[in-house]
Amino acid sequence: MTLGLKIANVSKTWNPDGPEPVPAVRNLTLDVALGEFVVLLGPSGCGKSSLLYIVAGLEDATEGSVTFDGLEVTEPSPERSLIFQEAALYPWLTVRDNITFGLKIAGQSTKKQDEAAERLLRLVGLVGAGDKRPHELSGGMRQRAALARALAMEPKVLLMDEPFAALDIQTRARMQGHLLNIWETSKASVLLVTHSIEEALALADRVVVFTARPGQIKAEIPITAPRPRDMRSPEMIDLAIQCEALLAEEVEKSFKEQEQEIA
Amino acid sequence: MTQDKRTSVLRRLIKRLEPTLWVFASLSIFVGFWEFAWWRGWANPLLLPPPHIFLANLTDQFRFFDPGGTRAGALATGGSIFSVLGVIAWSSFRVTAGLVLGFVLSLVIGIGIRYFKIFGKLVLPLVTMLAPISPVAWLPVAVFIFGIGNPPAIFLVFIAIFFIMTLATLSQIENVPVHYIQLARIMGCNKRQIYRHVILPSILPELFVTLRMNLFAAWMVVLIAEAVGVGSGLGQVTMMARNTFNASLVFFTMTLIGITGFAFDQALRYVQRKVLWWVGPSSVGGL
Repeated sequence: MTLGLKIANVSKTWNPDGPEPVPAVRNLTLDVALGEFVVLLGPSGCGKSSLLYIVAGLEDATEGSVTFDGLEVTEPSPERSLIFQEAALYPWLTVRDNITFGLKIAGQSTKKQDEAAERLLRLVGLVGAGDKRPHELSGGMRQRAALARALAMEPKVLLMDEPFAALDIQTRARMQGHLLNIWETSKASVLLVTHSIEEALALADRVVVFTARPGQIKAEIPITAPRPRDMRSPEMIDLAIQCEALLAEEVEKSFKEQEQEIA
Repeated sequence: MTQDKRTSVLRRLIKRLEPTLWVFASLSIFVGFWEFAWWRGWANPLLLPPPHIFLANLTDQFRFFDPGGTRAGALATGGSIFSVLGVIAWSSFRVTAGLVLGFVLSLVIGIGIRYFKIFGKLVLPLVTMLAPISPVAWLPVAVFIFGIGNPPAIFLVFIAIFFIMTLATLSQIENVPVHYIQLARIMGCNKRQIYRHVILPSILPELFVTLRMNLFAAWMVVLIAEAVGVGSGLGQVTMMARNTFNASLVFFTMTLIGITGFAFDQALRYVQRKVLWWVGPSSVGGL
């Protein structure tokens, strides 16, 4: 049995029986080792989010299979937690109740829930915000609460769909640092989707560059530099230039395709 | 310093009273025009008696209010403010009972239609076909089934909101953000838990707004029911005033209905704020 996440020959077509089937992902194979931080980098609409939803078990792959710790993924599970671009906290629950939502569903005692809530609020830096309502928090705080909610279930993989895209640049940088700290202590694998090269380079053990739709793997770039990384170091600048060139080709391709579709 | 304090207290008091003052201002414009029309001789005081006339001899008006509704016409002994309140209470009870029944059952049926697929397929066409039928058309049916008394009036209020609220429930369920449900699935919720912990709380606020918007329809219907099928309540008094050509009594009753309806809306708004605290103060209805 192999531990970790194995994505084997996965294809996904939206609306397969309709008049205009949309291929989102084609014949994609990718492994994520235990505790590894993998970033999927690609132009918008290249199917990288679709892949994340398949791994989460929210969507079925049209072809191929996803296995996790040797078991085939057929439905969602708290051990493969997904974080959306918008925090999607439940507005009718306090921050604390949002964080312990999964524990409550799992039938844990109130005492255990309270302990977990305090621990997680401290972990994500939201001490004292437990009784607040989601709409009283800033965007960054909401996203941290969403992270705490996912961590409450002690996930083995964190799937993150452009989690910081809606935040301003300063908050973004802080949140990335925060995420790295949490990742290092939790030992979970992370599969994060972004279209920001800088974000990919700051976070990843391995950057997986996607082609334009239908998504395929164009290149895999391992990054061994220790974190926190200095984006102005020659090594990082080299990597950034490399990624930019790879992405530019794909953006060009998807633009051409769109023009053809219009014409 | 004390001066400062005093002005700040005064300012806060004004702020507190401001909504009420606007209500009075709004009312005054209407009453002002009416009184002006009377003063100029445009409005015949027999047909359109202005407020200072129809509110003049209240005790005389009170005689027409009989909470039991056993006697049509003036009470020999002379009524009191309590008999008026009694009549208002009866009408309010019928509206409240109908609203509660309609709200709860529409929620149950609406969720049931989505939860149980076959039940939905069987029931939804029926609901959609019955929805456009005016409650007034149900009036004879109500009397055939329930006879005279409270039940037909409650039934009519129920009918007035039930179908609309059921369809509103369905559309609200469709509009639950997809991420909410995906998240619940990831967190390990089964179908029942998704409905109970996610769908129900996310549809309630909008449904409450819909209920408030249909509150006035419920009041209109209860008056018709009382005039025809109950024999007591504000509707019955209005009908009697019409039959006896008592214009003052007509306008006095209309005033009572207006005030009671207003109070109902305020009460529902209060309940909404208390029970559904996660929605803002109010998105619909102003004030």
